[in-house]
Amino acid sequence: MATAASAASSVPTSGSGSFRSEPMIEVRDLVKVYGGARGPTADSEVRAVDGISFSVSEGEFFGFLGPNGSGKTTTMRILTTLLGRTRGSVRVAGFDIDHDGARMREQIGYAGQSIGVDGDLTGRENLTLMGRLYHLPGPVVRARVEELLQLLQLTEAADRPAFTYSGGMRRRLDLGSALVHRPKLLFLDEPTTGLDPQTRNALWDYLRELHVRDRVTIFLTTQYMEEADQLCERVAIIDHGRIVAQGTPAQLKAEVGADSVTIRLPLDEGFEARRREALELVRTVPEVVGAAPVELGVTVRARNGGAVLVEILRRLEAGHIAVKEVAVSPPTLDQVFLRHTGREMRVEEVRPLTRMPRRGMGR
Amino acid sequence: MATETGHGSRLVGWAAPPSGFGSLVSDIGWVCYRSLKKLSRNPLLLLFTLIMPLIWLGMFSQTFGTVFSKAESLPGTAALPYDYIAVLLPGIAIMTAIQAAAQSGFVMVSDIETGFMDKFFVAPIRRSSVLVGKLLGDAIRMAGQAVIVLGIAYLFTLAFGWKIPFATGLLGDSLIVLLAALFGVAFSGLSNSVALFTKSTETTMMVSFTLTFPLLFLSTAMVPLSLLPGWVQTFSMFNPVSYVATASRAMILTGFNWLEIGQAFAAIAIVGVLLNALAVYAFGRQGR
Repeated sequence: MATAASAASSVPTSGSGSFRSEPMIEVRDLVKVYGGARGPTADSEVRAVDGISFSVSEGEFFGFLGPNGSGKTTTMRILTTLLGRTRGSVRVAGFDIDHDGARMREQIGYAGQSIGVDGDLTGRENLTLMGRLYHLPGPVVRARVEELLQLLQLTEAADRPAFTYSGGMRRRLDLGSALVHRPKLLFLDEPTTGLDPQTRNALWDYLRELHVRDRVTIFLTTQYMEEADQLCERVAIIDHGRIVAQGTPAQLKAEVGADSVTIRLPLDEGFEARRREALELVRTVPEVVGAAPVELGVTVRARNGGAVLVEILRRLEAGHIAVKEVAVSPPTLDQVFLRHTGREMRVEEVRPLTRMPRRGMGR
Repeated sequence: MATETGHGSRLVGWAAPPSGFGSLVSDIGWVCYRSLKKLSRNPLLLLFTLIMPLIWLGMFSQTFGTVFSKAESLPGTAALPYDYIAVLLPGIAIMTAIQAAAQSGFVMVSDIETGFMDKFFVAPIRRSSVLVGKLLGDAIRMAGQAVIVLGIAYLFTLAFGWKIPFATGLLGDSLIVLLAALFGVAFSGLSNSVALFTKSTETTMMVSFTLTFPLLFLSTAMVPLSLLPGWVQTFSMFNPVSYVATASRAMILTGFNWLEIGQAFAAIAIVGVLLNALAVYAFGRQGR
């Protein structure tokens, strides 16, 4: 991931700091087992969620980061009462979801992975229907719908059937229909999957605004490292139905600790030999925890990479090795994931035709 | 979002508790409104929804009408004071409702597939409102179709001298429309159940359409009981379509037969409760 992306990840934190005693979401030992009973053997049981516990405070922007099939969506569907659970206790917005499901649902908004928009209805009708189902009075619904259409830049398309909308417009409409009743807690299941970078950035801006200005608590799932890093104040990394790490992006990255320093060498005669030599030299620096050859030079992992860089360059110079270019990148959530799961996190594109960059391209 | 108010004061307060009777009625109303709006957005579907009963009407009156008029002239049968189409008319109204019922599950499947159903489920409304609202929409559509069938037949009676008595006038006609729509709603429980259990449009279509024709033709809807072969007569005794058809036919040909009308309502109630209980169960089971 590019340096610039991580550097830009200063999400403004909530100003008031007045947290209520009860968290907005509280989940303990949540387990969801699919199948089993109907399957031919016990092996057909799938533990989609395998003992998850976490809580989200009021006003927090919290994210679940994990690959496809890690249990993110299942957890979110359980929390929004769309799916039953095998065991565990869940409280959302101060309500027991088993006994006060309907009252809890008044407080939350949900935008799922498959966009819940009726293509036969216009944008305005979609929003109006939702406003009505949340029992808002007519004038309030009309005002809120106009406001949302404007905010989400759908005013011009408001009276066209939604099936004529582009993917980005549908996403926005879907988000709008989750916001008509001004929920205090918003659930977003992979909100930017399949969106082009511009639309995605615009959506990020809007979510930040929603969070900062309106103090909406947001729980988001994503498979994009950059998205979690950019938006979330706190991230839980989830893999195979378990939370493997939890904390602010900065904390998680600090745990991994090492920056990576990339040193490019001139690609002329004797490149191979000099790269070997360079590797040996950089390994003599005490702070260096690892070094490996890369295509155009070497990459070094070290705590406090900026300071170490000076020493590395000094030693390379003493060894008469010319350096073409250097770059220092802070640790990324990719490395955090790698450290906790032993695997690279691979993003599986839902729609292969969309040109969504796998990693952030910087800004 | 434009409010600057801070914690606490905002967000809560607008949404009334979902327990009230008023909000229940409003929830059902809005779900129903949506389902009718959806129908109106598909003009071609709407057109064929309306044309189909007319095609049935024309087709059956021309083909079976001829057969019937010959049967009429057999020795021992008195000439009847009405056309075969008068015998058939209630059957066509019911048939139209059954066909609409067979399609009832399609929207259900597509709502689940698109994720729109999730939106209903996370809204602070009862799941039953979603089902009832949808069925109400279906009922209105079926009633509309039945009105068109009867209306056209009435116009033809005036214009082309079709011999249809309309013995019970507007009240009886309204009852026929009501019976057809109610039977349609009752029968749509099957289509919705199959849709919810299989989540497949194809399966839903196959199951409903396969049952549609036996239900119609092994009943008294197309041919009066006395003209049916013995085993079909027996079968038709257990076929709820027969009771609806017989009661409706009497209202066209002779007059109110309250016993038959009562039996028709009872038959609808039994089918409706059985099939829709299954649909309600399948609906409640979603995501559980």
